Amino acid sequence: MTNQKSYSLPSIMTSDSSLPWLLPLITMLVVFAIIPFFYNIYLSFHEFVPLKRALIFVGWDNWIKLFTDEIFWGSLKVSLYYTFVCLIIQLVLGMGIALLIDSDDPGFGVIRSILTLTLVIPPAIAGMIFLIMEDANYGLIPWALKSIGLLGQEDTILADPTLALWGVMIVDIWQWTPFMVLILVAGLRSLPSEPFESAMIDGAKPFQIFRRLTLPMLHKVIAVAVLIRGIDLWRMVDYVFVLTSGGPGTATYTLSLYSWQRFTFVQWGYGATISLFSLIVILIVGNAFIHFAKVKW
Amino acid sequence: MFKKISAYLVGLIFFFPIFFLISSAIKPTKDIFAIPPKIFFFSINLNNFQNVFSQINFFPSIFDSFIIAFGSASWTLVVAIYSSYYLSRNNFKFKNLFIMSVISARMMPLVSISIPLYFVLSKLNLLDTYLGLILVHSCINLPLAVLLMKSFYDDIPKEIDENALIDGASKILILHKLIIPLSLGGLSVTFVLSFIFSLTEFICAVMLSQMEIKTLPVYASLYKTLPSWSTMSVIISFSLIPLFVLLLFIQKYIVRGLTLGSVKE
Repeated sequence: MTNQKSYSLPSIMTSDSSLPWLLPLITMLVVFAIIPFFYNIYLSFHEFVPLKRALIFVGWDNWIKLFTDEIFWGSLKVSLYYTFVCLIIQLVLGMGIALLIDSDDPGFGVIRSILTLTLVIPPAIAGMIFLIMEDANYGLIPWALKSIGLLGQEDTILADPTLALWGVMIVDIWQWTPFMVLILVAGLRSLPSEPFESAMIDGAKPFQIFRRLTLPMLHKVIAVAVLIRGIDLWRMVDYVFVLTSGGPGTATYTLSLYSWQRFTFVQWGYGATISLFSLIVILIVGNAFIHFAKVKW
Repeated sequence: MFKKISAYLVGLIFFFPIFFLISSAIKPTKDIFAIPPKIFFFSINLNNFQNVFSQINFFPSIFDSFIIAFGSASWTLVVAIYSSYYLSRNNFKFKNLFIMSVISARMMPLVSISIPLYFVLSKLNLLDTYLGLILVHSCINLPLAVLLMKSFYDDIPKEIDENALIDGASKILILHKLIIPLSLGGLSVTFVLSFIFSLTEFICAVMLSQMEIKTLPVYASLYKTLPSWSTMSVIISFSLIPLFVLLLFIQKYIVRGLTLGSVKE
């Protein structure tokens, strides 16, 4: 290394200490994640009082309000339902499609490429595509459901309290099932072929092979997929904002949307309390999942 | 054969909404509102484009989106290049805890960081500015970029570093002269993915800037209450073009990217 001398850097950059290497990352995390986290805690004990034009300390009021607020419990239920139902549908559907297109045939590569398309569409825009397709009067989906008799002639999707959430979930399922498929295909492709060959020779049935060999060997890949999808489902706000804005009434408020909506109504403290609640839940559940499913980076 | 046909059918089902969107952009109004809907056999009318372009100027929002995406992807990459290399090559006491906290940053609901950041940015006079959103988007993308870059560095044999260390090179020199040239592919994938995620991010963009700066998804969502489907379809079809072009560069690595480097293809 003859050019080492011409390459002079501040001595702190050449030292063995970890600090200079990690300092930019740590600074970014502190300013944009840790300070907001503590500021959120601070806000949850304060409320903006318009008359005084100031944040006033209110003690536990916001938290008491939170646990007695029916809209909060409703939005918690919506968030939980949305997260779990979408996760299960995407996982099962994703596994089915992954097994279908797991092949060396180059024709299947085209399908994998098509499936990547939905992954780069902004969720807000994906919501708008479905806004057109689910329109009560001229939409394709209500028309199709009506013509096969699944939906009454006068019924709508997005204005119906029980169907509206499904109208939102269908977008998520459309956009992110391909994500599950592609992860699972990547996992399936990386499996060794010997165990499967010997199982076939021993006369195992396809379902037995899937249950006893494929699933356990895909354990890690499935865990990663569930973790990442679960995080994004829990914090989803784009689709529901575009499609229903929480309506009809408060039927499709998720925690994130409700907290954002309180924020825009200048209930800054209460909005922060709701968002802090959803943050604490995902941090505990997410880290516990990483621990118990032994996900490694 | 049956397998192949059903696989293509699945591909078609997932492609259909995109096709339907583009077809709505080129349908005449009477075909858009036709019942039963005209899915395949509609007349083509390019007047929609002319109308939209003469009435609505959404190029400023494309410009905004690209400035923010470029700035945040660049800054994300600069931070990730150094910290990921350290995380890939060194063991230290709280390494696992450190990586866990990077992943925890990825878990935070964006609303719950936007509310406090609204106050932080307003104190710094960064609300509604490029710099503000660039910094926020880079922070959102950092967990992805750091862990993804680490996985690309992990692919490079450690012997390369060790040999160079024996020859007396410093760590920073090894990174600049040996490792970065070897990981240019990984660097560009990380850059493009961060770029795409900045373009698609909605909630921070809407909460932290809406008056002066409108990114594409924010701008498009303003038309959600507009009764004109053709306008809406034209705008959102156009905003998808840059994303699909970018996708071409990273298609091979998309699974690795979306799983933060933990699942390789």
